[in-house]
Amino acid sequence: MTPSDPIIRLENVYTAYEGADRPTLTDISFSVGRGEFVVVGGPNGAGKTTLLETINGMLPITHGTATVCGHDVRGDGVQVRCRVGYLLQNFAFDPLTPFTVEEVVLMGRFGMIGLIRKPRKEDHEAVEKALHLLGIGDLAKRPIGKLSGGQQQKVLLAQNLARDPQVLLLDEPFSNLDMFARESINKLLSRLVASGIAVVIVSHAFDDLPDCRVRVVVMHDGRISLDRECLPADVGQVIRHAGSAPCYA
Amino acid sequence: MLEFIIQNNIVCHAVEAMLFASVACAILGVIITQVQISSIGFTMAHAAFAGAAVGMFLSINVTICAILAGVCVAFLIGPLSDKARVSPDTALGLLFGISMAVAIFFIAYMQTLGQGFSAMGLLFGDVISLYREEIYLLALICVVAVVLVVVLYKEITGIIFNKRIAESVGIRVKPVYYAMLFVIALTVALCLPIIGGLLIYVWLVTPAAIALQFCYRLSAMFMVAPIVAAAISVSGALAGLEYSLPVAPLTAVLFSVVFIAAVFLSPKRRVSFRKY
Ligand SMILES: Nc1ncnc2c1ncn2[C@@H]1O[C@H](COP(=O)(O)OP(=O)(O)OP(=O)(O)O)[C@@H](O)[C@H]1O
Ligand SMILES: [Mg+2]
Repeated sequence: MTPSDPIIRLENVYTAYEGADRPTLTDISFSVGRGEFVVVGGPNGAGKTTLLETINGMLPITHGTATVCGHDVRGDGVQVRCRVGYLLQNFAFDPLTPFTVEEVVLMGRFGMIGLIRKPRKEDHEAVEKALHLLGIGDLAKRPIGKLSGGQQQKVLLAQNLARDPQVLLLDEPFSNLDMFARESINKLLSRLVASGIAVVIVSHAFDDLPDCRVRVVVMHDGRISLDRECLPADVGQVIRHAGSAPCYA
Repeated sequence: MLEFIIQNNIVCHAVEAMLFASVACAILGVIITQVQISSIGFTMAHAAFAGAAVGMFLSINVTICAILAGVCVAFLIGPLSDKARVSPDTALGLLFGISMAVAIFFIAYMQTLGQGFSAMGLLFGDVISLYREEIYLLALICVVAVVLVVVLYKEITGIIFNKRIAESVGIRVKPVYYAMLFVIALTVALCLPIIGGLLIYVWLVTPAAIALQFCYRLSAMFMVAPIVAAAISVSGALAGLEYSLPVAPLTAVLFSVVFIAAVFLSPKRRVSFRKY
């Protein structure tokens, strides 16, 4: 894989949920290069989450080829997931969840540490660094269930950063964050993009996006209906125009 | 193995059996309650019970039949439950009903045939007539349970935290999940003759529930649950044999008493204004 090769490459991909009679994603062809920042928009149920989980191999691809970070997603999903950060949509933990913030962030490296091996010094250092990046170092020893929704979201983002991903898939990461957190995470994202990480973000909050070139992908009914570059300030406009769906009218 | 402390052979064997069974069940119980697969544990226990009843009726090895039935359920239910999205409740309910029907049918039938005594052992457990090999097997499964948790600690904690997140960080959720189910099935089947099909669930769930009242960390739960279970089970065995009471039911009552006490003493239920 040369540096100019796309880090995510989907070709004519179909994805079906188990038991569904027709595929949810149909004929998706989509490539993302290193250091690209992609905003995925589209109405509820358009298939945005499905697209992210197809990229990291958590959903079965029924047709087509998908290569991410140089690994075949269908055959080698675990290897892909060790290199790809994925922040799940809407997550909340039970107050009694018996894990501290530190433990949760360390978990982000469990896949790459591999079976049987124990976490080592460098793993703990990566955890510290990720906590520091998100400004939640002071929460390290707190049980995750007793944090606010926004704090939990930052912890999960730190968990994904802890494994030094080459690709970050973020499913509505701003839904619980206050204005200041959004701003600081946006700064962080633009630094990550500048360092060559590809970021694919599903979001409905377009008012403050990182200050970098943005590619907008709009989905409708399991297909990509628009894919173009634009300025961060125009993203909302572009998605609104692309959508004939009522919720964007 | 404990002959140097307890001279009486029967008492010694009973204590050893209860010790190993309770430690294995308690460790796996932490997994069962934390991954929230109690209904799977419950169904496997009763399937093993049904298998044992059938084995006893056909005069084939009871333990092997129990293992087969438990493992079958593990691999029937596994595919339904390893996806975070599907709730296998109905399937489990059905299997549970079928297991109980089969078990009760054969036990009732054996009673009419005059083999009631050994059939009662399956229901309520029997620590008196144990072979040495059975105790070695129990010791072995106890070691297997400990090794499972120690070796796959990362993966198990990931699955306990959240199966989808565990998958998303690159943990091989499926094989670990099946290894867990397999060891649970083996343990349940091996402990069945001692503890009894009606009570084994107490051993699986209560120690973890007691530990949960006091522990905030998972690692602490994995330590506290087996220690509590071992203490209660050994006391139960000693007291039961001393006063000629049925050992497993007595111990099950002890478990419940300790659990109720733990709920009242739990710091988690207290609202405090202490600063920390
Ligand atoms: N577990 C599932 N099984 C079957 N179908 C599903 C499942 N999850 C989602 N779908 C279907 O797939 C389609 C796309 O869902 P997806 O979650 O990708 O939408 P989305 O664009 O992320 O929506 P939202 O903005 O609400 O998050 C929907 O029509 C939905 O009904
Ligand atoms: Mg979604």
